[in-house]
Amino acid sequence: MKTIQYLTDPLYSSLFWPGVLAGIAMALLAAGLSVFVVVKRLSFIGQGISHAAFGGAGLAAILGLSATFARGAMQEAPLYGIPQFAVITLFCLGAGLLVGLIADKEATREDAAIGIILVASMALGAILLKIAPPGPTWESLLFGSLYNIGMQDTVIAWTLALGVLLTLWMTRRSLIFWAFDESASPAFGVSPRTMKFVLLTLLAITTVASMKLAGVVLATAILVLPGAIALQVSTRLVPVFAISFGSALAGVLAGIVLSFELDWSPGPAIVTVLTGAFLVAKGVRMLRGRAGTHGVAAA
Amino acid sequence: MSDAIVYDNVSYSYAPRTARAGAPRALERISLKVREGERLGILGPNGGGKSTLLKLTLGLLSQQEGTISVFGQSPTQARDKRLIGYVPQRVDAELAFPLSGRQVVQLGAAIANKPWQRLSLEQREDVHEALVTVGAQAFAEKHVGAMSGGQLQRILIARALASKPKLLLLDEPTVGIDPAGQQQFASLLKQIAAEKQLTVVIVSHDLRTIAAGCDRVACLSRTLHAHTAPEGLTPAVLAEVFKHDVAAIFGELHVDAHKASACTDPTHHHGHGDGSHAPVTITVSKGGSS
Repeated sequence: MKTIQYLTDPLYSSLFWPGVLAGIAMALLAAGLSVFVVVKRLSFIGQGISHAAFGGAGLAAILGLSATFARGAMQEAPLYGIPQFAVITLFCLGAGLLVGLIADKEATREDAAIGIILVASMALGAILLKIAPPGPTWESLLFGSLYNIGMQDTVIAWTLALGVLLTLWMTRRSLIFWAFDESASPAFGVSPRTMKFVLLTLLAITTVASMKLAGVVLATAILVLPGAIALQVSTRLVPVFAISFGSALAGVLAGIVLSFELDWSPGPAIVTVLTGAFLVAKGVRMLRGRAGTHGVAAA
Repeated sequence: MSDAIVYDNVSYSYAPRTARAGAPRALERISLKVREGERLGILGPNGGGKSTLLKLTLGLLSQQEGTISVFGQSPTQARDKRLIGYVPQRVDAELAFPLSGRQVVQLGAAIANKPWQRLSLEQREDVHEALVTVGAQAFAEKHVGAMSGGQLQRILIARALASKPKLLLLDEPTVGIDPAGQQQFASLLKQIAAEKQLTVVIVSHDLRTIAAGCDRVACLSRTLHAHTAPEGLTPAVLAEVFKHDVAAIFGELHVDAHKASACTDPTHHHGHGDGSHAPVTITVSKGGSS
């Protein structure tokens, strides 16, 4: 089994363990936010923010923040540092705020604004990466790669994960109140604008932390699927968050195993596992609903 | 009896400062006193300034002219001291969120707690008492998405009561609730106001809600047209207040409003077997016949 070999053989383990550890951090990051993303219908803006990361990566590259390092004997890979993370995160956050700025209730609805920012960021990223010094490959940016993740990335991912989880815990009451009843929240001292800003910031951070493993295209899926699975299974607060964390963790680890065994990119592998879990949860819910209806009819 | 809310010559415009001169205002010189323990209904058409007045009372907007005091304080101070309980339109709530009725009420009680503070014993008792007051113990553990409109309405009232306010503001509280539920809602509100010695302000465009649940009515369509007991609403006042809304649907209109006690038509005012008659019947018809 390649997985065991990759994680225990000293020749490979230093190459792959950082990716596995960063994956666990990414799962924790995404799972905490996922329920809010699904309930507040922020999947599309999450998509916009994650695609903006491509533009951010282009900007970081043109600023000379990506250096190419030789890592191990197997591959040359770019090593991302804190300045690069900061540039991409700020770019993503700026894109999120720009959506809010250009969206209105008449000519440019929010979905149109997201569509515009999404393609504009992709285009900007493509141009900047073309003219920047050699750095990360397009494919690794779009779909992620285990080879790209070094110990420094892992430390950054865990620091971000702990920071995001702490922020979520500190703001949990306001965030839940706002998510449940946005229009009433100002009367209870909760600012909807602040809450949306907090959530968008956390989304931007999570996207950037996830993009090296899952890629910008698939990072959103990890922000959506764990919450969507949990909401299929339960309507209780604590179980929903527990299932969201559990499914994110299981999905990421199973995806990494699949990527080892079948030599897939980790992003598509993780998304395939989580999508499969979602379909199973949805199917079970539908069957339960049908059984309930038959039960009522029989009674 | 002292005043709970005093509106003194209050005006508000949504127009930017530079464009205010000559622009129509959302509220125009509103002066009104709400006595402690009173149940006041603010009746008016859509776009008549009801929600603006509510936001001003909550301190979420600041009037450009005039003053508002809530129990002798500014609206913001009163809100920060949790003197105001607010019940929104239930249709705005995100019912997919995984919360039970009790958790919704707990959030209302603990929203000002520090992040590391858990719900205190006293707050838990307040939550329990609020649920008992609105008769929601039986379905308090149910998911909010599985509740009926009336049940959710009770939970939202309990959430507002959990912080022990002195003033309860309700925004279109019976939207989406069937007539029987509306009648139950009016009885519940009467009972809560008496039990908790609350001042209640209901904002609605639905005359039935206002007539059944309030001691006094203020008719608002940018300016105050009247403030009187529900029985005192004259057809002329109602026609004036609602003319923009109704004329668009019915064309030329005639409004007939009369008290149940003065009604000679046995088909009017029926259907309230508990004796809680809707005290006023309003009939709006086209071409001058009622």
